[in-house]
This record gives sequence, structure tokens and C-alpha cells, in this order.
Amino acid sequence: MARPVLMFDSLSCCEGCGLQVINCETDLLPILAAADIGRFREASDGDVPHYNVAFVEGSIVTSHDIEKIQEIRAKTDILVALGACATHGGVNMLKNFQDPDDVARYVYGERRAWVPHIPARPQKAEVKVDAEIPGCPLNPAEFLEAATCLLMGKPFRLPNYPVCVDCKLADNVCLWHKGVPCLGIVTRAGCKPYLCPSAGHKCIGCRGLVDKPNTQAAKDVMAEFGLTVQDVLREFRLFQGIYDEVSKEA
Amino acid sequence: MSQVAVDFEKGAAAPSPYVPKMARLLEAEQMTETERFFRVALEGEPLRYEPGQFVSCMVFGIGESPISICSSPTQGDAFELTVRSVGMVTNALKKFGKGDRLGIRGPFGNHFDYSAMKGQDVLFVAGGLGLAPTRSLIRYVLDNRQDYGKVTILFGAREPKWLLFRQEVEEWTKRKDIDTRVTVDRGDASWKGNVGVITRLFRQIEVDPTRTYAVIVGPPIMFKFTVLEALAEGIPEHRIICSLERHMKCGVGKCGHCQIRGIYVCREGPVFTYEQVKKLREGI
Amino acid sequence: MLPLVLNKSDLGAWIEALAAQRRVAAPVLKETSPADRTDLKFGWEYIADPAEVRLDYTVTVLGPKKFLWPARQTVMSYQIGADPRPTAVLDHEPHVLFGVHPCDVTAIQTLDAAFSKDIADPHYLARRADTAIVSIDCAAPCDETCFCLDMGSLYPEAGYDVMLTPEGNRFFVEVKTPLGEALVEKAKVRPATKQDMQARQKFAEEKRGNFHFQLPFEVKYLPEILDASYDSLVWEAIARRCFACGSCNTTCPTCYCWDVDDDVAVDLTKGCRVRRYDSCQLDPFAEVAGGENFRKDRSSRLRHRMFRKGKYILDQTGRSGCVGCGRCERACVADISIKETFIQIAGSR
Repeated sequence: MARPVLMFDSLSCCEGCGLQVINCETDLLPILAAADIGRFREASDGDVPHYNVAFVEGSIVTSHDIEKIQEIRAKTDILVALGACATHGGVNMLKNFQDPDDVARYVYGERRAWVPHIPARPQKAEVKVDAEIPGCPLNPAEFLEAATCLLMGKPFRLPNYPVCVDCKLADNVCLWHKGVPCLGIVTRAGCKPYLCPSAGHKCIGCRGLVDKPNTQAAKDVMAEFGLTVQDVLREFRLFQGIYDEVSKEA
Repeated sequence: MSQVAVDFEKGAAAPSPYVPKMARLLEAEQMTETERFFRVALEGEPLRYEPGQFVSCMVFGIGESPISICSSPTQGDAFELTVRSVGMVTNALKKFGKGDRLGIRGPFGNHFDYSAMKGQDVLFVAGGLGLAPTRSLIRYVLDNRQDYGKVTILFGAREPKWLLFRQEVEEWTKRKDIDTRVTVDRGDASWKGNVGVITRLFRQIEVDPTRTYAVIVGPPIMFKFTVLEALAEGIPEHRIICSLERHMKCGVGKCGHCQIRGIYVCREGPVFTYEQVKKLREGI
Repeated sequence: MLPLVLNKSDLGAWIEALAAQRRVAAPVLKETSPADRTDLKFGWEYIADPAEVRLDYTVTVLGPKKFLWPARQTVMSYQIGADPRPTAVLDHEPHVLFGVHPCDVTAIQTLDAAFSKDIADPHYLARRADTAIVSIDCAAPCDETCFCLDMGSLYPEAGYDVMLTPEGNRFFVEVKTPLGEALVEKAKVRPATKQDMQARQKFAEEKRGNFHFQLPFEVKYLPEILDASYDSLVWEAIARRCFACGSCNTTCPTCYCWDVDDDVAVDLTKGCRVRRYDSCQLDPFAEVAGGENFRKDRSSRLRHRMFRKGKYILDQTGRSGCVGCGRCERACVADISIKETFIQIAGSR
């Protein structure tokens, strides 16, 4: 079998997910031994005409991003969206809830006319995405697992259970029982070992919703804690993945 | 409910039930777009199994999947499997060909009670992939034809292209000592046989309810309507036999995935009578 | 054997002597934030210093089960390629679980039975065979969620090697097994005096007075009560609150369902099968390859769990699937209580 060609690129984002990939350090060596890197924006120059797997981070916030992701899609067999911006829109989605002119003014300043800015959206809004590795930033262990699956030729599957499972396995006391509203109850697990509640911080839903969350029960629990759905949505709009789904029923 | 006896030392020294034996594919053939047929032989001692049992197939690096044995032990030392590619493991098996090796655990589960059926009529009703486990008993009965009374086989599939074991089923239809009828839900240009759901075939056959076992295997919806037909023919509930599909992961009654109420299908099943299934409530 | 007594001041030296031969896991005080007002401040950990051991602990999120039945356990390793050579992995080393409450002693007996039934599971049993259990008796209920007296787990008849009963500045030491005898050889114990025995009697009486039955029926009727509740709408009513997050299963000391992952090394040369906790409350648990889900409603999954805890495991092993430890209720964000559920279905018959 020919050596697969991989590529890594970024749309609008902080490029922290690309950095997380590089942070895998020596764990990347076996992948480099088995595959060629056609392009890696965060790490090197150069490009090739065709990729087998493209790992692309970032969301779409300008029409340039649309052109770029379409170009990548045309050149790759498999497109893997890396990180919350790529999979759910991520923090860039916050701008959709503000006046676009204000946003353009304070983000792009005097030269805002040069930037064809549009409402933010995840990659799957514009092109077919074959696999997603969510999270802000992505979990390097999950990236390595996905890469191994791709090299083995088996589908990569995200955990389909909420953060609570891993949180209890970490022997954590439930944050709700400490009076802290935590989104772990409806958020897809897989962030281990970077579990926010293990550090005393509530889950803010950066990995998006688990399949079939009980949003009705979530609202009931929040109400018991004196929160309205709108309160919680405002707080948890951060990563959009949860907002979209929950707000439909709000 | 007596307490299970516990012996740590003995248990700790027991062989792991989760390590497969290596097996080699003697034959591999794509039967339909999604179903692949394998003839498999264990390396070393042959597999000792009964009609209706299943094995776990391991593709190293990918995973494991429970598959019904579709052959009868009367067919020799090797055994046969029909694999539908629906998941990660079964899709990987699509690429397996003659000579390839895989891991096999088992056989697991109970089996069709062919002794009890001796001297009786047997009515087989199989829908789609349900023919695979059913075939293990059909082959057993055909190989011991003199031990059984009237044998009737009703087989249905969605469309002609989904009919399994086409050549073999055709040979069965030509045999004078069994009555084989095939139907498809939707025909195509080349199809000249019966069209319609499998329950319609019941109208064409004669059943003596006092001496018939009905062996019904197929998707839950088919099972329900076919059981209704069998009951309408007057076949008693304890002589309506089925094989239930669950995701047996461990095969040894531990992991919990195949549990229906208090029973583990991988141990106490997959073969049940309708009388048992009815009491389980969650059976179909 | 003559009843023995260990002075509390000699406990540390005993644990240290045990630590020379076995890994010691025990309840310890976990780091907690000042805002942490819950009682769940203890946890089961490997200890580095006998002074960490807190035999006065109450409840823990996870019980000592995690040392016998780890959340992830490799059961087999193999090579990728033409010759996989699958090999069983039995991973165990001498342990002592020091300070196991009677409810957890009872729960471990349920696990022992489940993994011994029909086809023995050597991966569990090898760890179990290598594990000594020193139990600590409870003088009073941990909190209002436990109902161990009802579930018959307050007075385990076996399942431990040594039982310590705390009274004043001493422990009564009951040696149950030959292994326990070997453990106690390392302790500075003395024979109990008449006065010691009177104090022990007093402890037993006070203990009995501190625990109260909480179920309005005798637990032997529980399987029957559950059976009669099968069609009740109560399951749907409770499941409306359920997130199906699996916290109840994850923390339960008798839950042992699992799923298996194939972990492949990044260089694709070798792999291993790792089993990990699974939860019957999670949506895909009863799904088959074709996509059909035999318990697709939260209510049917919740009912399945309650039946497993109150009936199925008992039917299968002769030992209760619920020991009344209260962990599932404490872990539940929606405050679903197994005890209240049992009470409710008994009333809704």
C-alpha cells in the first residue's frame, strides 16, 4: 500500500488544536513513519496536489474560509474537522449574537472593508466532513486514536456518553451537588484526562452534545437550582454546539 | 436461588474465556451486496458445536462480533458463517478471503432441540439473514432426513437480490422429500416466484398442529406476524421456536449487553420457545 | 480463636508492616476546596503513609471495587498482521483493601459470585485471589441515603479476612480466614479482656440502635414487588428526570457490565483488548449491529437497572444486586433514589 499523505491546515481560529497535535511530540513519530505530511501550516512550508486525509481546524467566519475549505475538500479523500471551532463553530459563533458592524470594527479595525466577514459557522455547514474530533482544544489522545483508526482503516467513533461517566470514574463529587451548574450531564465525553470538573471547574460543553440528551430533565434540574433556561443558555452559548440544540426547545 | 460457589484460586487459574482460537478461512464468497459467506476451520482441534449456536469472530486490531453458525455439525469439521456487513468488524470481514486468519471464540449459547423434534413435522420460517441460523438446523434435519416427518421451508427476503444461499435453496425446492417455498416482498424483472410477505406462504401449506414444530427466525417484525400465523394454525406455544438477536459481547453471561430481563441470551439463548419469549416481554 | 484487641496507636505500625508485602488501598481524605460542603470528602486511594488512612470515613464516590474491577482492564494482547498470537493478560499483584465497610464487603461477594458463575472470569478472580480485605465495622449509618440494614449488608457473614470494630482507643480484631491470621501476625494485638468484651457488647447494642429499617416491607419480597411493578407508569415518571448519564452504574459497588475496546499502538504493530465499565443506562447499551435498540427509552433502561439491582442479579447469583450503600442516589444529579423507588413501587402495586 502506498504511504498515505496527510495534511494539517487552519481556518479562522487560535490554531491551538494544531498546537495540540504538535504537542503529541514523540507520539507522532510512528505516524510520521507510516505516512507523509503533504502540508502542515503550523509546522512547515510546502504543499502537494492531493491528500488522503486532511485535518483542518478552525471555523468559517469569512468567505475566504469557504473558498479554502472547498479547495481542501476537493483535494482530499477524507476531511477530519479538528476542534470545537471546526466541529461546532466554537467561540467564533459568539459574534453571531452581536451587531456585525460592531464586531467588524473592533476585530478588524480601520481595514475592516478588506475582510469579507460573514456569520460564523462550523465546517460541516459548507462541505462534507468525514470525521470530527471536538473539544477546545482537542484532546491529543483522541487525535492519536483517530489517526490510528484512519491508518488501520477502521472508522473513528466518538464516545457516545456524557462527561458524567468519566467524571465519576475520576472520583469527583458532582459539581451540581456543590451548587455549580455543570454541562457535563449533556456533553459528549472524551476529554479525559483534561476533565474540567477534576480541576474544580464546571464543564462548559466544548465537545458538544451527546446523542439524545435529556434536555427536558436538564431544564428541570436547572430550574431547581433557580436558573432559567435563558440564564444557562447565555452562559453555555460559548461553544455553540450545545446552544443550537438546546435553544430549539427553549 | 442458591448462592454461586466461589473458589478464587481455581477461578484465577481458569483459562480466559476472552482469548480466541486462531482459525483459517477455507472458503469466502460474497453472497449478496452485504452478506459474505465463510467456511472456517479452527487451527488444531475442530470446533465442536450444535445447530443454533454462535461464535465470536475477532478481527485483530478492529474488534469482535457475534455471528450465528449457519452450518450443521453433520457437514464435517469446518463450520460456516454468514456475515452481514453492518458494523466495524463485519465491514472489515468483507475484505477477508480464502486463507486469511481470524480469531474465533465459542461456540456459545444453547441450541435447537433437534432430538425433541425427532419423528415430528418441522416447519422452518426464515426471513432475510434469519436463514443463517435456521440453515444450521435445516442441514441437520436434511442430513438425518429419515428421523423427521414432513419438512417445510418457507423463506422470504425483501428483494430477489437479498436472497441468501440461492443455489442451495433452489436445490431444496427441487427435492421431493421437502416442501420449499420462497417469496420476496418486491420482485424484479427476472423474478418469477412468489411476491408478498412471508405470512402469505402459510396459506399455501398444510400444517398438522398436533405434530409440528415451527422454527421461526427473522427480524422482530416478521417474527411477530409469523408467530401469529403459527398460532392460527394451532401450533402450541412451546413448539414455536425462535432465535433472538442481541449484541452478545462476552458470550459467557457477564458483560450484560445481551440481557433480556433476568436472562443472558448468550447463555440461556439464543434459542427460545415462543412460550418463553412471551414471558420475557422484552424478547421481541 | 481468642478475641483480639489492637490499640489505635499501633494501627500505623501494622499498616506499615502490611505495606511491605502488599499494596495498601484505604479511605483517605481527599483535597477539597473550601466551598466543598458535601460529605463526599473521602476517597479510596493507594496510600503512601499510614497516617493518611481514615477509618472514620463515611461515604466515597467510588468504592473499593475499583481495585478489584478497574474501570479499564486489559484482558488480552496480540500482534497485528499475519500471526496475531493472542495472549491472555492477567494483571494482579498482592493488595490489601484496608477499611472496607460492611456494605462494600457484601458487594464484593456479589461480584465474586457473578464472576465465578458458570464460566469463571480469571481476570477478575486473579485480582480477587491476590487481595486481602480488612473490614471496618460501622457504628452508625453514613448518611440518610444508606439502607444497608434493609438490604442485609450491615452484618456480612463472610467476605473479609479481618474485621475491625472501633471502640474508644482500641479496635476489636476478628480474624475470619487463614489469610487474615497471617495479616494479624504483623499486628501488635493482645487477647481481649473481660472489660474489652463488655465494651464490644456495648458497641454492638449501640450499633443496632443506630440503624433503622427504611423500607416499609421485608427485602425478601422485593423481587416480587418489582415483578408486579413491571407495567407501572412509575418507570416513565421517574425516567423523565433521568439524564441517562450512567452515574448510578459507574458508582455502584455491584455493577459489572462492560464493553470492550481494541486499543492499537500508533505504529500498528500490536494491540490489546481492554474492557471498560459500561452502563445499562446509556442509550446504545442494548443496541444491535443493525441499529435496533431493545431498550431505547430511558424508562425501560431505568427499570432494567432497578430490576437488576433488586431481582436479576439475585436470581442469577443468589446474592443481592443492591447493598443499600446509597452511592447511586448520592451521584444522581436528578436525585433519583433507588430506596425511594423501591418504596414507591411497593405502594403503587
